Amino acid sequence: MTKNKNLKTLSSISVLCISLVIILFFHHPAVAQTPHHYTELEFPPLREIELPEYQRYQLNNGMVVYLMPDRELPLVSGTAIIRTGSRLEPPEKVGLAELVGTVMRSGGTQQHPPEELNQILEQRAATIETAITTSSGSASFNALSQDLNTIIPLFAQILRFPAFPTDKLELAKTQIRGTIARRNDDPQDIANREFQKLIYGHHSPYARTVENDSLDNISPEDIVHFYQKYFHPQQIILGIVGDFESSQIKQLIQEAFGDWAPGDTISDSIPTARQQHQSGIFFINQPQLTQSNILLGHLGDKLNNPDYPALTVINGILNGFGGRLFNQLRSRQGLAYSVYGVWSPRYDYPGIFIAGGQTRSDTTVAFIQSLLTEIEKLRTTPISEQELAYGKESILNSFVFNFQQPSQSLSRLMRYDYYNYPPNFLYQYQQGVKATTIEDVQRVAQEYLQRDRLLTLVVGNRQEIQPPLSKLSPEVQTIDISISQPQNN
Amino acid sequence: MVKKILLLLLIWSLLLAPATADTSSIQPYLDRVQERIKEFSLDNGMKFIVLEDHQAPLISFVTYADVGSVDEPEGKTGVAHFLEHLAFKGTQHIGTTNYRKEKPVLKSLDRLFDKIQAAKAAGKPQNLAKLERKFNQKLAQASKYVQQNQFGRIVETAGGVNLNAATSTDYTIYFYSFPANKLELWMSLESERFLEPVFREFYQEKDVILEERQLRTDNSPIGKMIEEFLNTAFTTHPYKRPTIGYEEDIRKLTREDIKQFFATYYVPSNLTIAIVGDVDPTEVEKLAEIYFGRYSKKPAPPKITIIEPPQQETKEITLQLPTQPWYLEGYHRPNLNHPDNPVYQIISRILSDGRTSRLYQSLVEEKQIALNAQGFSGFPGDKYPNLVVFYALTAPGHTVEEIRAALDTEIERLKTELVTDQELERVKTQARADLLRTLNSNIGMARLLTEYQAKTGNWRNLFKELDRLSFVSAQDIQRVAQNTFVPQNSTIGRLLPN
Repeated sequence: MTKNKNLKTLSSISVLCISLVIILFFHHPAVAQTPHHYTELEFPPLREIELPEYQRYQLNNGMVVYLMPDRELPLVSGTAIIRTGSRLEPPEKVGLAELVGTVMRSGGTQQHPPEELNQILEQRAATIETAITTSSGSASFNALSQDLNTIIPLFAQILRFPAFPTDKLELAKTQIRGTIARRNDDPQDIANREFQKLIYGHHSPYARTVENDSLDNISPEDIVHFYQKYFHPQQIILGIVGDFESSQIKQLIQEAFGDWAPGDTISDSIPTARQQHQSGIFFINQPQLTQSNILLGHLGDKLNNPDYPALTVINGILNGFGGRLFNQLRSRQGLAYSVYGVWSPRYDYPGIFIAGGQTRSDTTVAFIQSLLTEIEKLRTTPISEQELAYGKESILNSFVFNFQQPSQSLSRLMRYDYYNYPPNFLYQYQQGVKATTIEDVQRVAQEYLQRDRLLTLVVGNRQEIQPPLSKLSPEVQTIDISISQPQNN
Repeated sequence: MVKKILLLLLIWSLLLAPATADTSSIQPYLDRVQERIKEFSLDNGMKFIVLEDHQAPLISFVTYADVGSVDEPEGKTGVAHFLEHLAFKGTQHIGTTNYRKEKPVLKSLDRLFDKIQAAKAAGKPQNLAKLERKFNQKLAQASKYVQQNQFGRIVETAGGVNLNAATSTDYTIYFYSFPANKLELWMSLESERFLEPVFREFYQEKDVILEERQLRTDNSPIGKMIEEFLNTAFTTHPYKRPTIGYEEDIRKLTREDIKQFFATYYVPSNLTIAIVGDVDPTEVEKLAEIYFGRYSKKPAPPKITIIEPPQQETKEITLQLPTQPWYLEGYHRPNLNHPDNPVYQIISRILSDGRTSRLYQSLVEEKQIALNAQGFSGFPGDKYPNLVVFYALTAPGHTVEEIRAALDTEIERLKTELVTDQELERVKTQARADLLRTLNSNIGMARLLTEYQAKTGNWRNLFKELDRLSFVSAQDIQRVAQNTFVPQNSTIGRLLPN
């Protein structure tokens, strides 16, 4: 507002000056001389976001390559997404994919034992890391651009010629056994893990956990077989961003990966998910606690659901520093430090709607009731214009933060590619948010936040939860989380 | 086949080549960044640091208050952190429907709270019930004037992200990022925030903070352990106390305590601001004069003079809780500005950074007695003399005593053998590369610039420290290790299953 006024005053001086003034205006915006309350401020439009230039091409063996030069700093980073995942491992060998992901890097390559590999990398402040998670595998590197000639061949070696030595496999198993032994030390970990199991089911590839027994079932041959099945060039999308000459790096990539023969086509289907229990209250007793960890929710959907934009507007209305849950359960009722409720979709299998937080034992029931009240309110009462604006504008005005770094744009493009989403998915989403109305919010709240399908999980101290959970439902099912001991120890 | 041999030759030559730590390519970038940094101070003593980075139309802001839990009066632990929470509650114009009417209600709430405390102390339960009823009525009345979390809503609606704050032993920081066209909005909101704050919803927030303490400390075995460990390692210095505060202190805190603490420590000369991103430093300075020039000059806050006396003998603390074992070992060391600070940093890196680090190689890979073993320096803060702390999680079937023995072997090695040139080169290169990578983060740079400015008196020390690191020799490391890692300077912490 002030800026426009200044511009007008200045422009009246002379017509000739106008163009000059306008240029000055853009380069050095005229500045207010007195402080203004935020309500009095107006803002110039934000400059256009430009997607950094990139190219996508394919090697003869089928490997997809993305290159995005960014000469700002003398650094280069790269990621290969590998079409695999722990959801594809056999149920009696849970942990197999994770072990492959770990030992691929920790075990070194056929050319370099691990100690030597570590030395070469760390002496140059470079890293290469690999991992396999639920729905993909990844290998990534980060290096000074001066070391590219060393790092790219090593990166390729790890993907192509991992050694998988037995001693490093055993070490990785020991580490996982240690994690199993420690998995009940933190109540939040217990709640998150067990909640996934309630939603997806104990044996679902989206919730199952590695156990000492399943580790014992995994042999060195299993590791090699799993690797051989999935690690082929046509299974890989490689993306590199940073300080490089495209022609030079293309040659490096060709030398490192070009002679890698494509493998057999894989026809694994992606496991589906459905909700295990239809509803109910579940409890895990931890008598040492003075605070309950509470989660409630149900199975959700994929990211490409056409109502996803409206559902993120709901996320915005419920959460954040001015969200309903923060305002009500935290700031007004003083029930919790952390409270949230989010629609959390996945790319290629149904995600979940999950809400929760922590509250002192004696307010457990009050917390759950308040959470349910807020969910119900979204379904029954239309939100105000002001809340719609808060939900939408916080997404739309911060949209530019999707483009902070070229690496952010590149990893998004690769993810869309991997999961078969259109490259402009983010912009479709933005349009969807813009178009969301009060009626949309209520409609999707009614359709997707389903009170009769909600599962509630409480991790807490049975004696101290007063009033007890039975106040919410006559039937509270107790879950046993004791850890089965390793057989060979 | 030919290719394979070539590859082998290439690798061979790699290994023969000296382990060069050629970081000459990094230095010009670090120099150029320093040239892009502008600084200025207002007449009231407030300090600004501006780093231009036009890569994306974004700006990150950090407000650094040079006050932390160490500055809290005895019996009022938690007040610095409580104030940080209340700095989100608005002003006389933000967060209220009518401040003129709200103000007396807040006052009477405070009076009722004082009366309740007095009745509790005097053991008069009948008075208490009546007072509490009145208190709750007033609480409901006060709530009617509150526009809940309006400050946060304004920021988020305008496209602000990562809005948050943190309190440590040494400092309190407030931060978020805006799209680049909202510079003046930040100026308006942030200056008003500390010009005329209203600490409303104080009593509800007390419950929130008590929940936070439950979450971080009372229901977390390692949280409890750290609280007890610091309480053991320090006898006198306020590093002894938990930043979140003791529960009994938090319960007793009053709005008046917060106001006093704010008046003493949130004076302009105690505030440093960093703005990093797509800005014009000239415009920043003009706006800063207009908005933050409203703060009047105030006397500098008192400084901590308490000195931790030298430790005389090994101290030990063992806790038994439902958890798998942890081992902790701490040694006293001087503060950030001591000439040996870079030596301590190098020691931490040699022992703990990466797969080639000594603790990982020995405890995790070779002996396989730990899932994780690391050491770090500057705990719980580094503005005052503090601790080097080592910690490890036992692997299944191994004990904290095995960890202790293996750790001591590695620490003894530092005292008896010189570290290799290769190790020294490696960690120096890594330190340079780490700073280079931080340049990619606006908020990361803003945090570092304010912290170095406030703690060392000059943000340039962030860069100079790399030069100091480069001068550290193997002999320096041996000398510092011999002086620091002695039994009478150590505190042992054991967290054991019950």
